[in-house]
Amino acid sequence: MNRAGWWLADLASHLLDPHERDAVRGDLVEARVSGSRAFAEVLGLIARRQAALWADWRPWLAVLLIVMPIGLMLSHASRWWADGNALNISLYVRIWEWDDLGYPGWRRDLAIVIWGAVVHGAALVGWSWSSGVVLASLSRRTAWIALTLFALVLFIGTFGTTTIARTNGELFAGHFFAVVFPRLFRTMLVLVPVLWGLRTASRGSLSPRAAIAGAVLLALVTVLASDGLEDSLVLGRGAYRTDGGPDGAMGTADDPRPLWPVSLVMLWPMAYILVSTIWHRARISLPQS
Amino acid sequence: MLLGEFEYLMLTAATRLGDEAYGAAIRQEIEDATGSPCSIGALYTTLDRLEGKGLIKTWMGDPTPERGGRPKRMVRVTAKGHRCRDLVLPEPSIASAAVSHGAKS
Repeated sequence: MNRAGWWLADLASHLLDPHERDAVRGDLVEARVSGSRAFAEVLGLIARRQAALWADWRPWLAVLLIVMPIGLMLSHASRWWADGNALNISLYVRIWEWDDLGYPGWRRDLAIVIWGAVVHGAALVGWSWSSGVVLASLSRRTAWIALTLFALVLFIGTFGTTTIARTNGELFAGHFFAVVFPRLFRTMLVLVPVLWGLRTASRGSLSPRAAIAGAVLLALVTVLASDGLEDSLVLGRGAYRTDGGPDGAMGTADDPRPLWPVSLVMLWPMAYILVSTIWHRARISLPQS
Repeated sequence: MLLGEFEYLMLTAATRLGDEAYGAAIRQEIEDATGSPCSIGALYTTLDRLEGKGLIKTWMGDPTPERGGRPKRMVRVTAKGHRCRDLVLPEPSIASAAVSHGAKS
């Protein structure tokens, strides 16, 4: 227990600044406290440090503008597309025959399915990565707490809701597609990219060229994925759309899309990155007076 | 300037320790004098507060073997700190007085 306590204390102390970490560890070693006491002491200091950091407005801005809205939308979108992909994967695995590729219609359908999966995956990765960058940019030292809150919102945000794909009771009766696959999907396409974004921000700012290219690419992917994002919120929360638009048919181009602004919300982290990168570059290229 | 009881205790302990004032030593001094545990969290956040007010100056000292090769956060009370300690709390509590007079001696 003593060794475990010290190990935990060492691990937790990584949340402190490097110079403070060394001094605190040294003080605890010198005081010959037990491992559990050392762990409690380090946690106490971290709690005080975090409390002081959260007295600032920036971490709260990160929670209000990233963690809550974008975390919740990513929670719905990722589960919606995870279930859709699960349905497609199980369908193609069950009926797959190489000879079917000889049919043009079959090939076209398969290409649409793969293209959709790629676009949706790219959208999730792009939105998540840019959110991670902004989380760290707004408040680097509270980013880990914000990330923990983000993960909570991501994994429990869809609690009590469903997807159309889940009407396939047989497929989702199994533990893998009902539970494991969506969690894996969210972890790989949302949580890992958020971590990547945090890391990117800690390495410094992007070049303006990379920021512009990223913004254009993400805007394009967002346009392509926006319909699915809106469906994940409207249909995923159980509020079925009944208005099919002028043609009266659901799923056609003239369907009303009252939630189209959510796509803009998903793009704001990338817009922030773009503006801050250009601003930063403009400042350092100004002649020093 | 507002000087809290714990800040006063810490200034007094650091003054008494002189050149030997650093995190663990101040903590020990306060615990011996008050008979109450002093947490690392309270110690380090108060050091920051005092440094922010210009009452102390801190810097990283050399690593020592008894600390597992880790450096000390050394503390020195500034002239302003000495003045404040003498003026702000003219009637120190029993605990402060204990630190002031050296509970160990």
